[in-house]
Amino acid sequence: MEQHVIPGARFVDPKVLARIGNLELLARTVVEGFINGMHRAPYFGASIDFAEHRGYVAGDDIRRVDWRLYARTDRYYVKQYEADTNTNLSVLLDISRSMKFASKGIAKLDYGCFIGACLAYLAQRQRDRVGAITFDNDIVTHIPPSAKHFNVVLHTLDRARPERPGNLTVPLNKMAEHFKRRGILVLISDFYEEPEAILEAIKPLRFIGNDLIVFHVLDPAEIDFGYEDASSFEDLESGEQIPVVPESLAAEYRSMIRAHIDSLTTKFSEHRIDYTMVNTAEPLDKALFSYLSSRERLMRVR
Amino acid sequence: MAFLTPLFLLGLGALAIPVLIHLIQRERKRVVEFPSLMFVRRIPYQSVRRRRIRHWFLLLLRATAIALIVAAFARPFLQQRATASAVTGGARDIVILLDQSASMGYADHWAKARDAARGVVRDMGANDRATLVLFAKNAEENMRATSDRGRLEGAVNAAKVGSGATRYGPALKLAESILSRSPLKRRETVLISDFQKVGWTGSEEVHFSEGMTISTVSVASPTTSNLAVPSVTFGRAAFSGQERIAVTAGLSNKGDQLLKDVPVTLTIDGHEMQTERATVAPHASSSVTFKEFTLAGPNVRGMVRAGSDPLPADNAFHFVLAPSDPVSLAIVDGGDRAAASLFLSKALAIGTTPSFHVDVSSSARVSPTAFDKRAAIILNDTMFPPAGGGNVLKRFVERGGGLLIVAGDRTSWPQGEAALLPGTLGAVVDRTSGRSGSLGYLDYSHPVFEVFKAPRSGDFSAAHVFRYRALQPAPTDRIIARFDDGAVAAAERKVGQGRVIVWTTTLDDSWTDIGVKPIFLPLVHQLVRYVAHYEPATSWFTVGQVLDLAARAKDHADRIVVTPSGERISQPGAGEGNEGLLELSEQGVYEVRKPGAPTSARPESLAVNLDPQESDLSALDPAELVAAVTGHATPTAEQAAAPQEMTREEAERRQSLWWYLLMVGLMLLAIETVISNQLSRKEKFL
Repeated sequence: MEQHVIPGARFVDPKVLARIGNLELLARTVVEGFINGMHRAPYFGASIDFAEHRGYVAGDDIRRVDWRLYARTDRYYVKQYEADTNTNLSVLLDISRSMKFASKGIAKLDYGCFIGACLAYLAQRQRDRVGAITFDNDIVTHIPPSAKHFNVVLHTLDRARPERPGNLTVPLNKMAEHFKRRGILVLISDFYEEPEAILEAIKPLRFIGNDLIVFHVLDPAEIDFGYEDASSFEDLESGEQIPVVPESLAAEYRSMIRAHIDSLTTKFSEHRIDYTMVNTAEPLDKALFSYLSSRERLMRVR
Repeated sequence: MAFLTPLFLLGLGALAIPVLIHLIQRERKRVVEFPSLMFVRRIPYQSVRRRRIRHWFLLLLRATAIALIVAAFARPFLQQRATASAVTGGARDIVILLDQSASMGYADHWAKARDAARGVVRDMGANDRATLVLFAKNAEENMRATSDRGRLEGAVNAAKVGSGATRYGPALKLAESILSRSPLKRRETVLISDFQKVGWTGSEEVHFSEGMTISTVSVASPTTSNLAVPSVTFGRAAFSGQERIAVTAGLSNKGDQLLKDVPVTLTIDGHEMQTERATVAPHASSSVTFKEFTLAGPNVRGMVRAGSDPLPADNAFHFVLAPSDPVSLAIVDGGDRAAASLFLSKALAIGTTPSFHVDVSSSARVSPTAFDKRAAIILNDTMFPPAGGGNVLKRFVERGGGLLIVAGDRTSWPQGEAALLPGTLGAVVDRTSGRSGSLGYLDYSHPVFEVFKAPRSGDFSAAHVFRYRALQPAPTDRIIARFDDGAVAAAERKVGQGRVIVWTTTLDDSWTDIGVKPIFLPLVHQLVRYVAHYEPATSWFTVGQVLDLAARAKDHADRIVVTPSGERISQPGAGEGNEGLLELSEQGVYEVRKPGAPTSARPESLAVNLDPQESDLSALDPAELVAAVTGHATPTAEQAAAPQEMTREEAERRQSLWWYLLMVGLMLLAIETVISNQLSRKEKFL
């Protein structure tokens, strides 16, 4: 990969950003548009964008009364404007040892870093505050969301090294205590736990109304298990080795991983969590594009 | 089986590979990192099955294939005998000279020689061809150049030991002749023999040209023991009108050991007459004399056998005895002086082989009947027989009688009978003044003087000649002796079937003192034997001799010859010119019969014995013979002649066994691949 002078700059792939930049990220937010100017905020506030009229109730600022409408209808209506607000975007990146796996080309951790960085960049462009948390079986680094922390976030992501086995429950519970303000949480992991356990671990993040986006990063080898030679397989998390004859296991394995993904899709969907499975063999921009497209579709439906 | 690169056999350790493939879990050799084995762990896995060998056949196939391939790399070859074909390429023309002389009958020499010959035949290449030559005294192509090894082996098997003497010269000449006609480049001679020293004089004109090689196979034993009876002699004595014979057998010990009390047996006409004991020192000779026995008649067969040893052929000696008939002579002298023929008659009275029966008469009283049944007439210093005697004498000579004319003072010859006298007699030459004359020239090629040819075999110059008759011989007459002044001393003329010799000085003490010289007796005997056509009775012949039976019997009748081995040979009396000739090739007694002769009649017998030299088994160094024939120094010649042993590389290259092993190994691997693929499709686990 091309090495740039500025740390973290490698994540900002201009080609990726070109595709992302063309999307209307504004369509992303519904209730609490979280990027000022581009995201419609969930609150009505001081904004130049007219939203709707409502009847005057005692206590409303008379400055917001639409006198022209009063002249036509002889009723007091108050003009409401959509307020552009800033929000927090936190990238929650799993850096457990299983994330260092790479069958060809790019490791899952790197791929996760790219996703996080891209989204952080987008958020930064929207004047959102960006932060990052890396974790394995505990929180490793914690960058609180801030408008000035973009570079720190990128730097943190770049420094992340998979060293310990992972566990979602402990670190996510701790994170939930940290987030005092609503924001967008982007959780990037390979989710090697039972779907129920995963959901249980994630739930606290949604308690204060955070918008949770989940990226399930998987290597193609993990999906199609394209091994041929009988070998000893070592679990990167535990270090355990198991003799494996792929020829006899592959079909069964594929059906199991598919069932796992399907289960996660179903369960996240049930809990209104945006879930996207990304394959590290597919282009990064394509993964983001497909995600944002689906996100946009969802917003329109709403 | 040997290997050119045996270090490759270390690769047999690779045999463990298929075993390990079966026994060791391959997945443990290579570790694949995987994010999580959460799902894999849930799938049941029967790894224990891998630790068991389930397909023994496959394992065997793999192990065999690897072993074959490793063996191919080690480049195996079959070691061949040292006498295998030579290194250089191309077909060979081989002449196998197989000695079948009598000495090859010693112990197992012949068996070894045939084995060697068969070995040469078996080592022939497909394009090689060989000629089998059996030789003894003469050489004969037994099997002409052929590549048919079966026929050659058959010929070797059919060959037998003969009775001939060993002579290498003719055999080598024949081999050289055969090879010189050969179109093939590689020409080899293999000489298989016991290499008797007597068979090679070194003066044989045999030279192999460049490109011809000779190798030798000696079957000679390092130490030999051989007793031979090389000859017998007969002592004849008359007793009561019968002839008694005392046989003396010579014994020759050719071995290194003293032979004690060897039984020596005399057999006459199949009856064992006497057995004597003899002791013969090593490399020495001895003799045994048997008691006299009476000779009953002609063609009495006798045999002396002495002891037994590994070469039995020369332990027996055959002979045929016949009563000796005296040579009847008539001496005619002038009768005018006493004892004119004293010297002659006394000289002729001595001797047994032959004995002479002499009648002396004067020319005046001689009658024509006096010449009847005489073998020869001696006209001793007398005139030509008068009256009808001349004609009788002429007829006598023409029919084969002999005439010896001793010229002296009284000798006169009528002009009309000049045909009987070898030349024309002249005047008396007187050599009494001054230095007397002597015999200066003798024709030693003439049968009369042949016996005196050897040095110290008679001093003719000691005899003084004081007078002689001049003789002018005709051009057709043969001068057999001259005096020191060149005058003719003796001349011969053949008249009809008879022989006439004129001696130009006397054979007494009147004109010469030769009568008192030692040379006189043998001279007179030789002259008389010659003119009388005396042929000593031959008691035995030697193998290899050729007899003219027709000349011997003086007729041209048909004959049947029965050889010692029982073979009957018919000999027509008249034919293409070689009728009557008989080559004596077997040891023993030949019988010569005339068709229609009564069976009770004793057939003529011919005893044939081995060449005495054949008993000498002293061996020659084969290298000496090879060097003489090839003209190279001995070591070089030996190297060139000996079939070179193929180098290991050459043997391996010719056989190319590695190629077949590699092919079979690869085929097995291919079969193994097919089978294992089919099995793996059927089974869940390998």
